[in-house]
Amino acid sequence: MTQVTTGLTSAMRRQILEQMLIARAVDEEAILLRKQGLIDLWAPCTGQEALQVAAAYALDGVVIVPSYREVAVALVRGATPEQVVAGWSGRSFCGWQPRPLRMFPFTLVLASQMLPAVGYALGTRIQGRAEPVAVFFGDGASSEGDAAEAFNLAAVEQANVLFLNVNNGWAISKPTSEQMRTSIAARAAGFGIASRQVDGRDPEIVYDAVTAELRLLATEPGPRLIEFSVDRILSHTSSDSQEIYRDEADIAAAVSRDPVAAYRRRLLEDGTVDPDWLAELERRTSDLRADLLKEYAR
Amino acid sequence: MTESRSQTLAASINSSLAGLMEADDRVVLLGEDIGRLGGVFRVTRGLQATFGPQRVRDTTLAESSIVGQAIGMSLSGLLPICEIQFDGFCFPAANQIITQAARLHGRWGGTDDLHLVVRIPSGGGTRGVEHHSESNESIFAAVPGLRVAYPSTGEDHRAVLDEALATPGPVLLYEPIRLYWKRVPPAPAAVPPRHPMAVRTVRPGTDVTLVTYGAMTLTALAAADEVASEVDVEVLDLRWISPIDHDGVLESVRRTGRLLVVQESCLTHGVGAEVAATVAEHAFTSLKSPVRRMGAPHEPMPPANDEYHHVVQHKDIVQALLEVVS
Ligand SMILES: Cc1ncc(C[n+]2csc(CCOP(=O)(O)OP(=O)(O)O)c2C)c(N)n1
Ligand SMILES: [Mg+2]
Repeated sequence: MTQVTTGLTSAMRRQILEQMLIARAVDEEAILLRKQGLIDLWAPCTGQEALQVAAAYALDGVVIVPSYREVAVALVRGATPEQVVAGWSGRSFCGWQPRPLRMFPFTLVLASQMLPAVGYALGTRIQGRAEPVAVFFGDGASSEGDAAEAFNLAAVEQANVLFLNVNNGWAISKPTSEQMRTSIAARAAGFGIASRQVDGRDPEIVYDAVTAELRLLATEPGPRLIEFSVDRILSHTSSDSQEIYRDEADIAAAVSRDPVAAYRRRLLEDGTVDPDWLAELERRTSDLRADLLKEYAR
Repeated sequence: MTESRSQTLAASINSSLAGLMEADDRVVLLGEDIGRLGGVFRVTRGLQATFGPQRVRDTTLAESSIVGQAIGMSLSGLLPICEIQFDGFCFPAANQIITQAARLHGRWGGTDDLHLVVRIPSGGGTRGVEHHSESNESIFAAVPGLRVAYPSTGEDHRAVLDEALATPGPVLLYEPIRLYWKRVPPAPAAVPPRHPMAVRTVRPGTDVTLVTYGAMTLTALAAADEVASEVDVEVLDLRWISPIDHDGVLESVRRTGRLLVVQESCLTHGVGAEVAATVAEHAFTSLKSPVRRMGAPHEPMPPANDEYHHVVQHKDIVQALLEVVS
């Protein structure tokens, strides 16, 4: 998992760590805002920062259709922390402008984003300007009928779609082992979608995988799917306590694999960042948190 | 347009679609069996041969896929017109229609909207087997964010399509199956609609306002003609059941002082209830007799042999018209 497989420059690796730390800061602040009753709900991306940040960089310019937990993806795309929180605060249904960011709004009806994502790709092809589309969805969402319809439609139409499954092992309190008999990658293969499983805890592996799949999407016909495994470190949202349905050892194991801590350690150890760089970033994230508090304390 | 007068509704819809596709490359059709076969009602006959399989798309047998992909196509810049094979089969698409298409405008911060039409053949009178003769328009008419039309003539159908493509927001376009092949009498031009979403006065009158829509428009018109020597009936075809042109209805009821609403679908929680309630609220003092509603009982559409007792018939309307004025 620590093997460096990519040609990422040091600057790029620092940027990935920076965005991972920013996403973590937004998560932490939003959780506090929720506890203070200043926002209404929060679905943290804690544990998914490596996957989300690296995928968002690899997807540079590609239309992204998110599920509802892609906080770090939106931040990398250029949404401000205030905009990412807006949808959870009663201010609007989507804080950012979808067109300029080339990122659709979050979808709260699970899996309902998948068919429009396929349609968008087909629509651009019909108009002679075929564009790839990347669509995120969870392990839980994969049980919805629309997920199966989207797989089949994309496969039979050979649509230019990259399915990005985020398998964090849980759909609220339902573990993956009780949701499905096969992996999501295996299921996708059955539909005729080229698929593979990738560790979503290492941003460099993620970056490589998404970059490679995008390249294949451009050269080979048909949709592709990556099933990322990630850990769910926190409860599902601010509205549940995972201690009710998940045993302590499992939670502790997830915490011990925290991708942000791991990547921070790694870049510090290999000299890509130093304590001064981290201290400077720490100042920036605490400013950012203070701004977010000020914004939502109004 | 003498030519369109002799056309059936099905042929007229076919020409409208062909004309729209001819005029604008962005128009694409999606539906089950609409291409090679021309649709189970042959409404799209010949269009795939003319415009090709890219633009007249035989979809997989999955209604959520039809509407879901059309939403994405619309966002990508196309003008999709979907066909649901029969209205009994629109429910697999209900999630995409209600939670996605209808809410897109607000969710995208008001910056974007969908040009999306979903055509839904509907209603009884053709001895359909179970789920092939229902009328579920009231369910979707109740959904904010959707516009729902149920025209009774080819001209009005074309007007609905024009409005749907010219103005933002998804449109469900119900089509009365039993009028598809009927030689529809020419639309009386006596009183043209005040605006594209307005009611159409099918028959001007002075004694009672009969409000209806869809296939029932023809039944109502025939009943009005039959009682003409005793009652002068003003027949209004709503054309759009969401939003309803309440101003048009109120204007008529204030003149006639009486209201009869006729619909094929269940009376409960329906379009007629909405019309009646609005008249009661805003034209109460103009009323000379209680508002009267006619529709199907609150039961599923029965087997075809029993439809006669379920759906409002010509004779029922005749009787009601005589009662309303007595
Ligand atoms: C259609 C639908 N059913 C139920 C819910 C309520 N719900 C919200 S998130 C969730 C679990 C989602 O699991 P998964 O797709 O794995 O995403 P994760 O929460 O793990 O990121 C449920 C049941 C919903 N939002 N949409
Ligand atoms: Mg999950």
